[in-house]
Amino acid sequence: MPCGAAEGILLYNNPMTEYSTFARDSLLACPDCDLLLQVDSVPAGSECHCPRCDALVHGENTYRNDVHLAAAISGLLLFIPAVTAPVLKFTMVGQWGSNSLLSGVWRLWTESEQLLALLVLLCSVLAPFFHLLLSFGIALVLRFSRLPKTFPDWLKWHHWMQGWSMLEVYAMGIIVAYVKMLDDGDVFVGNGTYCLIGVLLSLILCNQFFREEFAWQRWEQRQQELQT
Amino acid sequence: MTVTARQQGLARCLSCGKLCRMPEPQAKHRAHCPRCNRAVSYRQNASLTYSWALTIAAIALLVPANMLPILTVVSFGQGDPDTIMSGVIKLWESQLQAIAAVVFIASVAVPVAKLVVMLLLMVVVQFKLPLSKQQCTLLYRFIHFIGRWSMLDLFMISILVTVVHMGNIANVESGPAALAFGAVVVLTMLAADYFDPRLLWDLEHE
Repeated sequence: MPCGAAEGILLYNNPMTEYSTFARDSLLACPDCDLLLQVDSVPAGSECHCPRCDALVHGENTYRNDVHLAAAISGLLLFIPAVTAPVLKFTMVGQWGSNSLLSGVWRLWTESEQLLALLVLLCSVLAPFFHLLLSFGIALVLRFSRLPKTFPDWLKWHHWMQGWSMLEVYAMGIIVAYVKMLDDGDVFVGNGTYCLIGVLLSLILCNQFFREEFAWQRWEQRQQELQT
Repeated sequence: MTVTARQQGLARCLSCGKLCRMPEPQAKHRAHCPRCNRAVSYRQNASLTYSWALTIAAIALLVPANMLPILTVVSFGQGDPDTIMSGVIKLWESQLQAIAAVVFIASVAVPVAKLVVMLLLMVVVQFKLPLSKQQCTLLYRFIHFIGRWSMLDLFMISILVTVVHMGNIANVESGPAALAFGAVVVLTMLAADYFDPRLLWDLEHE
């Protein structure tokens, strides 16, 4: 939904005359074009887009902590079988072969493709794992309002892991590899794939329901409590 | 009339999105975000320099990534090394057009499109070309969104070399192009991260 008077949201762009030490939260800068925006009230469940470049400047302001926490826990529970159980099994003239996420990394490593192995390890195992772990930690401390001093670092690492976690691309890779091998023998989908789908759904739910801005604002409140 | 945060001495923190009041230009100390304590500046530091360097490196590596073999399938002692393109052609010829299209888009079209768009955006900023800023921003968002999908080929290689590892009967081995291709993917992702789209819009205010 674009922001504007028609939707009952007061939004205007004018030179300011007064500032506090740091800007109020109703004042925002568009992340993509730096347009200064005043967003006075955004109704629950709606988003706000930049009138100049259409970037999302204000996401939905409802945060469902319970869904976020539940998704992170389910993802973590499924994670170990997802990276260790066989993803695809292949048979050809009586010989069997199979792979898991971790054995794929190990095979590249032993094939003296260490750098490539590290890249695949980061994008398909480490980043999704730490993304889930940090999601779990963030949802938990937000739930009980006990933010640790290192909370900003948690949020920064969470953001970084989110960018490098590519399990959805890996899932597409499984489909391509499956079809490629169909011609030469029999291919079976292993339990690892089912767990992987579960982890993938958990990650999508985590991303859909987490509001970074909400977490940052809670941290700001905590900072003010510490100062007083 | 449009007013940017910079014109008002305000900057958006790249890490947490907080709008920060910037110190006077002559101040010696660096500004830090009051919320997350990261150094704040009006624009991503040396954005264009990093983007140029990473993009040029990626273009250079695109050559070995496409010329050298990426995958060798040996079945009963027979098989030739495949480059990215010859692999796509083989898939197409064996009636797997849909998969051939997926691999072509992920391994050829996406990296090339990303580099072309990066070059275009950087040339627009560098030489102040009067192109539509809305459309440039759309292109920027597009390459950010599709960048990760180039990893598809590398994940597929990791799966194939592990599953099809049966000694003399059948064996799949990765080639030297795989590492070059991985480097292209990482470098283009970093180049897109370093590029600050606000530089495009700054041209409107000059």
